[in-house]
Amino acid sequence: MKVLIIEDEKVLGESIVAYLRGEDYLCELAETFSQALEKIETFQYDCILLDITLPGGSGLELLRELRANRSLDGVLMISARNSLEDKVKGLKLGADDYLPKPFHLSELGARVEAIIRRKQFQGNHVLRFNELSIDTQARTATVQDQPLVLTRKEYQLLLYFASNKGRVISRNALAEHLWGEDMDVADNYDFIYTHIKNLRRKMTQLGSEDYIQSIYGVGYKFGVR
Amino acid sequence: MKLFVQYTRINFVAVLLVLLVASLCYYFLIRFVLIDQLDDSLRVEEQEILDNLHRKGTLPESTQYRDQQIRVSDTTLLFRRQFISDRAIGRFGKMRRIRRLIFPVSVRGGLYAVSVSKSQQEADELLGWIGLVTGGVVLLLFLALFLVNRLMVRRLWRPFYRILESVRQFTLAGRRSIAPVETSIDEFADLERSMQQMTARVLQDYESLKNFTENASHEMQTPLAIINSRLDLLIQDRHLEESQMKQLQIIYDATGRLTKLNQSLLLLTKIENNQFDRLVEVRLDRLIGDKMAQLEDLVSAKQLGLTVNTVPVSLEMDEYLAEILLGNLLNNAVRHNLAGGRIAVDLVHGGLRISNTYYPLGFDSSGIFDRFQKGDRSQGTGLGLAIVKQICDRYRFGIQYAYMEGQHVFTLSF
Repeated sequence: MKVLIIEDEKVLGESIVAYLRGEDYLCELAETFSQALEKIETFQYDCILLDITLPGGSGLELLRELRANRSLDGVLMISARNSLEDKVKGLKLGADDYLPKPFHLSELGARVEAIIRRKQFQGNHVLRFNELSIDTQARTATVQDQPLVLTRKEYQLLLYFASNKGRVISRNALAEHLWGEDMDVADNYDFIYTHIKNLRRKMTQLGSEDYIQSIYGVGYKFGVR
Repeated sequence: MKLFVQYTRINFVAVLLVLLVASLCYYFLIRFVLIDQLDDSLRVEEQEILDNLHRKGTLPESTQYRDQQIRVSDTTLLFRRQFISDRAIGRFGKMRRIRRLIFPVSVRGGLYAVSVSKSQQEADELLGWIGLVTGGVVLLLFLALFLVNRLMVRRLWRPFYRILESVRQFTLAGRRSIAPVETSIDEFADLERSMQQMTARVLQDYESLKNFTENASHEMQTPLAIINSRLDLLIQDRHLEESQMKQLQIIYDATGRLTKLNQSLLLLTKIENNQFDRLVEVRLDRLIGDKMAQLEDLVSAKQLGLTVNTVPVSLEMDEYLAEILLGNLLNNAVRHNLAGGRIAVDLVHGGLRISNTYYPLGFDSSGIFDRFQKGDRSQGTGLGLAIVKQICDRYRFGIQYAYMEGQHVFTLSF
């Protein structure tokens, strides 16, 4: 799957490329408006990460260009100007999602995964991983076709993990994902631990392999050990 | 004391002094002239008497005619001719002031004293009239001054009070320099112009400060994003040891705090700049339900006794700001609470009260909504309640804080 990252901040662009590459994405980086324009006119991508502030033009302009030509590429806007106005404008112009800076790469990974899943499989909303499958529309999960009864937070955790397979996810990223930004992260480490413990128990009870691995001190990793 | 009262007082004293000195001078001058005239006529009488003496060799009889009296008496002492002011019993038995010329005459070896007196009454009457007129003028002058002060001064100062009023009503949030005031008085026009310039400058400074805060916060987002993303990459490294992971966690937490601080600052500036103006009907009761659901982990971990009484209340405001407002207040109530403590949320039409148990503040409660004001135990940014206040001000909600019987109580009225 091809992902285009349009980001003028080179170091940040490279981080995103490095993170997504591990998820079997083919990544390309464009650092300027003209570079980006050239690439989107020439190639097709499954997902485009679009920074709104670019040297040489606005990301919103690129988005307009993109939507005028063809409408299949998924677009995730990223912006340092966390403004509602940009967000609304972008979504109106046909962006699929909006992520303000600064963000965790795992959050970005989950959003990209969701966009691609929706775009590529034309409304496919089931995410599969070995014996596990997650129906993102019904918000349910099964292990070997047996229903996995989860609380809201456990479901959110599972989906987040499954969208970031094989990656270490920091507790901070998990806390932010589950409780939003207005929560004090440090308060929630214990809760994360509790939710993960329960999720793990419920999964293994149904005969799932234990995919959740604690990485001491910082977070968790989901995947085959 | 008002300026013009003080000014009038000084004016009155000065005018009074000048008039007093002037009328004294006036009095003595006129008196001198009148007496000089009287003396002249006494001299004429003397000359007549002396002429008569030369021609006829006789002295006149002692006579009294109207207000003139001539008296001749023997004397043995030689004395000098002199003018005397004196009193005598006049025609109607009243004491009158008189002017008298007394001179020695020798007739055939005998020495006589001749005194010619004239009544001063006319001169005195004239002086009296002049005094009366002067007094009248003084009174009239004072009356005029008084009336001018009463009527004119108040009118003259009107522009000043207008300027004062608009300065009083000037607020930074109002974003308007003071209203112009029409005046033909240079000083007030000057004052008004300076006030206008000053308020315009203050507004400009304030504006640029706000822009600076917003820009600075924005500029910080990208470096923060870089730090965050590099940390996210770094922890993927399989070769990291536990101790290094611990260090990374500390960096994560610090970066998280910095991010939150930055976003709070940005939010404050944006509210100040009125960047949230998407008014929708917000159901507060539902929002409270959502927020409490988000906080349920913390509530159950702390084993907090929760009482939520709500009725359907909807307010027209920006949805995001409503979320922030309730989120901050409820977060605080949950976070700053004792294990096994209590929270009570009461939503009625026109008001919301959130109370929770916790230790007393530890600082003056009047500063509770100030930026970066926080208790010793707080891990927060110190901006949460400042944001709450800002949102309340924006929508003209009232917000009060009180500590009563071990409970922190926030009362919102809208």
